[in-house]
Amino acid sequence: MNDLVKDWSSDVSTFKIRWSKAMMWIFLISDTFIFGTFLISYMAIRLTVVDSWPDTSQVFALHVGGTDVPLLLIAIMTFILISSSGTMAIAVNAANKKDKRKTGIFMLLTVLGGIAFVSMQAFEWTKLIVDEGIRPWGNDFGAQQFGSFFFMITGFHGLHVLIGVIYLSIVSKRVLAGRYDGIDDYQIVEVAGLYWHFVDLVWVFIFAFFYLW
Amino acid sequence: MQDAELNQTFYEGQTIHHPKSWLTKYVFSQDHKTVAIQYFSLSLLTGVVGVILSMVMRLQLGFPGLFDISPDTYYQSITMHGMIMVIYLLTAILLGGFGNFLIPLMLGARDMAFPFVNMMSVHFYALSVILLFASYLVPGGPTGAGWTLYPPQVLLPGTPGYDWGIVMMILSVAVFIIAFTMGGLNYVTTVLQSRARGMTLMRMPLVIWCIFLATVIGLLAFPALLVAGIMLLLDRLIGSSFFMPDIFQFGQHVTNVFGTEYEGGSPLLFQHLFWFFGHPEVYIVALPMFGIVSELISCHARKNIFGYKMMVWALIAITAVSFIVWAHHMFVAGMNPVLGFFFATTTLIIAIPTAIKVYNWVLTLWKADIHMTVPMYYAVGFIFTFIIGGLGGLFLGNVSVDVELSDTYFVVGHFHVVMGISPILALCGGVHHWFPLITGRTMNNFLGKIHFWGTFAGAYLIYIPMHYLGLGGVLRRYYDFKGLAYVSDSLHDMNVFITLASIVVGLIQFLFLFNIVWSYFKGKKVEKNPWKATTLEWQTTTMPPGHGNWPNKLPTVHRGPYDYSVPGASEDYIPQNVPLEAETEGGSSHE
Amino acid sequence: MNDDTNFKHPSFYPKAEPDNSHPISFYLIAWLALFILSALSYYIDYVNLEGMVRWVLITILALLKAGLIVSVFMHLAWERVALIYTILLPPILLIVMLAIFANDGNAINVLRYSLS
Repeated sequence: MNDLVKDWSSDVSTFKIRWSKAMMWIFLISDTFIFGTFLISYMAIRLTVVDSWPDTSQVFALHVGGTDVPLLLIAIMTFILISSSGTMAIAVNAANKKDKRKTGIFMLLTVLGGIAFVSMQAFEWTKLIVDEGIRPWGNDFGAQQFGSFFFMITGFHGLHVLIGVIYLSIVSKRVLAGRYDGIDDYQIVEVAGLYWHFVDLVWVFIFAFFYLW
Repeated sequence: MQDAELNQTFYEGQTIHHPKSWLTKYVFSQDHKTVAIQYFSLSLLTGVVGVILSMVMRLQLGFPGLFDISPDTYYQSITMHGMIMVIYLLTAILLGGFGNFLIPLMLGARDMAFPFVNMMSVHFYALSVILLFASYLVPGGPTGAGWTLYPPQVLLPGTPGYDWGIVMMILSVAVFIIAFTMGGLNYVTTVLQSRARGMTLMRMPLVIWCIFLATVIGLLAFPALLVAGIMLLLDRLIGSSFFMPDIFQFGQHVTNVFGTEYEGGSPLLFQHLFWFFGHPEVYIVALPMFGIVSELISCHARKNIFGYKMMVWALIAITAVSFIVWAHHMFVAGMNPVLGFFFATTTLIIAIPTAIKVYNWVLTLWKADIHMTVPMYYAVGFIFTFIIGGLGGLFLGNVSVDVELSDTYFVVGHFHVVMGISPILALCGGVHHWFPLITGRTMNNFLGKIHFWGTFAGAYLIYIPMHYLGLGGVLRRYYDFKGLAYVSDSLHDMNVFITLASIVVGLIQFLFLFNIVWSYFKGKKVEKNPWKATTLEWQTTTMPPGHGNWPNKLPTVHRGPYDYSVPGASEDYIPQNVPLEAETEGGSSHE
Repeated sequence: MNDDTNFKHPSFYPKAEPDNSHPISFYLIAWLALFILSALSYYIDYVNLEGMVRWVLITILALLKAGLIVSVFMHLAWERVALIYTILLPPILLIVMLAIFANDGNAINVLRYSLS
């Protein structure tokens, strides 16, 4: 508590962190509001509609070896995203120890995870659109808003993953090329990491509230 | 790195690039002052269009049918006028213009934290303005659903621009939100992370506090508008029905672009989302004008602002409460009536910190050494106007009264007093006050006073009658009132009067623009710190300040922002960067 | 406030908190915990828990996961208290929004049923 007051009443800098990191945190709060609003709108509509909401474990089931395994693809996607978050954390850790090679390698692993996630999402979308016939304006399972919310929310999240993949590959390339040697102490890796963990964080809530609820 | 604060080309490890060519100096400039001026000029130009559009509406209302204004044009003018004024003029000029210009200078920083992002911000803003006006070029013209863009009306055939105008509008707003986010991240980071040595938060000038908090509001409120916009766009383009209920027009179930029926959406959800943005937006506009007025009053009344800490905490309270009052715009929308009680209560609660601010301004003026300069005219005029507007708000904040007054001209009158005239007064006062800092010349006082009296008196001639119209039951957004028996002849006459008054006041606004342009070339040249102000922006070695703001060392702050008329001091003001012991022999100095 | 000698420009502040030197195993444990929590929430669906039990469990698991990601992976647990509070306070507004939207969404639903 004492530190809280001291920091807020200090001069020059309130948080005593690099500007880029402060900016990323503030941006993430703003972004939290975007995703929060998406999910809350989804809740409001789901409460509003008179038609029944589709049973997600049935819609998202994957047909493996003769039986329908509910949410299998989603479970794999969750696993991949969490793992990529883990590799990113290790990359940040390596960056703090100024281990250039390890940082770069683990960031590239993260990028691979991101690419895998987006590809699986593309597969999921294709399957839903082509096989299940889910459209933004209607589907066979229940309320028609189901499809539009699914495409909107996962689409917006997928866009974030895609941006993150591009962002991380640029940063990792620069790290490996030695652009941050000496200056900056690889702080930018930490900032990029914050963004990537945030994408993971959003997925946690989408997984819980859209797929499982 | 060691001389980061000594050498002006280094700034937190970044090099400040001094502009080399015309293009990098005026178009792709990363200097916060140039970016601010770009914001100023662009938003003022957009504002001119907004004023012209309001003239179109007034001409139709005052003299129905005389000027051959079609209903479509009328509704498109309403929509564009509202959007332009609230978002593209006021938000942009108060945060983009004043924020950019004042934050680094008043905090004693070299520039914004991220100059490149700052430059991108103004370019995205320009793009959003272009997109906005491009909606006049698409088939069907701009959308005519009112600036609130309520579905389902906005997507129904018959509303002007229901097909492409709305798409352009949402795209434009989305680009604006991106621009605002880039600017806003800059303002917040700069305020929190790069103040001068000795500049604690409680020593910041109030205008910086206000812009900072307004930006925080913006960063948290604009996402709701973005989400609402995206969902509306999807309703229009890919046939979802987030906001479109089962709706019948001429006996036909209304269909989306793919020919399937809209069903089950919730138009109320849009209103909730819109006003979750829309009400904080009022405070995005209001807080900076509070700040500007605080500066003007303290400086031109030569007195420390009364209750500085109270002012700051009142601002923080307004910021917090502004997020939980939104549904007072929806009392008659069909919302759950239980919620009306909650929102009426919070609405009346937010009047408390606002009233604290007004009392503090008045108490600052009490027994002060008031200099009736042009900025002071505007500041005092602002207080009057804002009180009047605030009193109107008390009526509208109560559910039972609001049910009667909702969607009448009472509402139009109320928010034009609060959101139209008050910001213009604060804005013009601010421009008069800081014009010497930007150009090294003062604005013409005579023209300034004409503009002030014209605007101030004219505002009452326009908007007080509007309150009466509303009490008489005249509904807003009507194209004309032919055949409505309850709109009596005297109310028609009042409309004619309002139109005549608004044309005069509208023309007077051009006087202000003329004053800016004229004074830029021909204004009286002044020395450094013409108002004898204490805040840091006037203490730079050159005026206007050069690129990097402080040629050598960054300033050090030793005192609060409003040390005017300190007893025992040799002059009646002590700048913030003067050390405590330097000027007072036995005199007191306050935080 | 006037001890200018101790002043440090932002660029001279410590780059990161010293406890960034967690061993890799620390992150592996966090990762494992996240994995187990995800598996648990998946298991809830697998055994078809219904109603309140399901919703409460899902929410708790999601919040636990979110807390783990924010505090460990995003290092918020080791940031300064000022930053922690700044980040955790604004989302309260989202809870207000959630409550109101839920109330109103429900009211419309009731209205629609009563009309049909």
